[in-house]
Amino acid sequence: MTARSLFIPITLLLVIAFLIGPFLIIVAASFSAGETLAFPPQGFSLRWIAKVFTVESFRASFGMSLFLAIGGTAAALVLGIPASYALSRYKLPGAEIVRTVVSAPIIVPGIIVGLALLRYIVVPFQVGITLALFLAHTALVLPYAVRVVSASLDNLRSDIEEAAVLLGSSRLGAFFRVVMPNIRGGIMSAFILGFVTSFNQVPVSLFLSGPGVRTLPVDMIAYMEIVFDPSVAALSSLLAFLSIGIVFIAERFLGFSRYV
Amino acid sequence: MFQNRAEALALALPAAIFAATVFLVPVVILLSDGFRAPAGGWTISAYTDFFSNPLNQAVFLRTLRLGALVTIASAVIGYAAAFAIVSLEPGAKGKVTGLVVLPLMISPVARTYAWIVILGRTGIVNQAFQALGITEAPLRILFSETAIFIGLLQLFLPLMIISLISALENMPKDAIPAARVLGANWFQVFWKVVLPLTKEGLVIGGTLVFTGSLTAYITPAILGGSKVLMLETLLYQQVAVSNNFVAASVIAFILIVMSFAANILLKRVATARNKQRSPQ
Repeated sequence: MTARSLFIPITLLLVIAFLIGPFLIIVAASFSAGETLAFPPQGFSLRWIAKVFTVESFRASFGMSLFLAIGGTAAALVLGIPASYALSRYKLPGAEIVRTVVSAPIIVPGIIVGLALLRYIVVPFQVGITLALFLAHTALVLPYAVRVVSASLDNLRSDIEEAAVLLGSSRLGAFFRVVMPNIRGGIMSAFILGFVTSFNQVPVSLFLSGPGVRTLPVDMIAYMEIVFDPSVAALSSLLAFLSIGIVFIAERFLGFSRYV
Repeated sequence: MFQNRAEALALALPAAIFAATVFLVPVVILLSDGFRAPAGGWTISAYTDFFSNPLNQAVFLRTLRLGALVTIASAVIGYAAAFAIVSLEPGAKGKVTGLVVLPLMISPVARTYAWIVILGRTGIVNQAFQALGITEAPLRILFSETAIFIGLLQLFLPLMIISLISALENMPKDAIPAARVLGANWFQVFWKVVLPLTKEGLVIGGTLVFTGSLTAYITPAILGGSKVLMLETLLYQQVAVSNNFVAASVIAFILIVMSFAANILLKRVATARNKQRSPQ
């Protein structure tokens, strides 16, 4: 019996250590006073955390990633909400085709999407890198937007909007006054999921970078290949706490995990 | 259900047209590049060229091997972890599940970067090995298949654990005690009762882990270096270093075929075992 009662805590301890431990080490390393990345950290200082904010390329790429995550996700929702509504409430001819096309970007590896966009949209049509990144991130987030919004639409009874229409509301008015307030949680959750997905995405942005135009994670990989100081560790910790904070708040106020 | 077709199309088409132009059409053209003969017409010579190169063969086999190993390891560890989590009290269960899910919120670059500190020349593992006298000189763990394996396992294990937790929770509560009372040992309980009852969760988790590992870029790029390549990092090199777009198209096609094949194969496995069991 003792062997079995020991099995549970030991297994959990090892698995959690394996999953969380490396992250804790990164956090510890980012408070190091030493010149190079090391654990245990040499001394304690905030110099690397401070340095993150002074690296010019990090500031620029952080701005770019933030723009793509917010703008791309918003665009994906503008396209995705009507599509989800059509898929869940209408007899849509070719519904399966629409569903497949819209959710396809999730199946194909990002690096292929990025390369295809570069070769057949950016180069032939002289599209700017920023616009190309925006299009790529919108396409990438679209499947998540459609999936999460569809799920919350399917959970909402459709007869309340039919009732609104019968009572004289226009279809559009019924959507904005009856449906939207009821799926707000789902839309916010889709936004957060899209934001985190876009912000952390690397492969799709690899080929889509130009002089001074790069997303933050791609910039971090480029930086760590040249410099071996703890600033990437510091930046990683900051970003991790940022996304954990966002998800925590979302869970608290929206019940995020119900939608994802 | 509303019947108005024009309205339905007006709502759905913008998203579909966007995904088709930005994504579908460029990707299809890219994939067709690998089959186009320089003089016009179609050929598979790019594929025979690709596979006749021993370096490419090595990368292809390494990608398959790592995908398989990571999937098997995550299934074994995943079952142990999911069992342990399901047996916890409800409050503790939620907290531990939260800790398992937490890494999914953290940037994969940050998560992979941590392994440089742990596995590097002066990293924790080498410090410990030397302090304990296991090795004299520092081992070269970073930039190897082992490092990529560890990185991928850490990246994708949570997906397997979550799939198995929900599978185990949906299992009838008295299945295990019943099997025990009827004289099954723990191995038989797992093999004949738990596995068949949770295989859907295993298939879902397995597909996510396997396709995720096949198509991972960040992990092999950071932990494999420029020598130990996987298909995605090879694709990147072919474009960024060699400007070889035909080879890139070939690799892209192989990656897509492998992901789809994995999905279909695993679905087959699940349904085949279902049929086999139903007459009993």
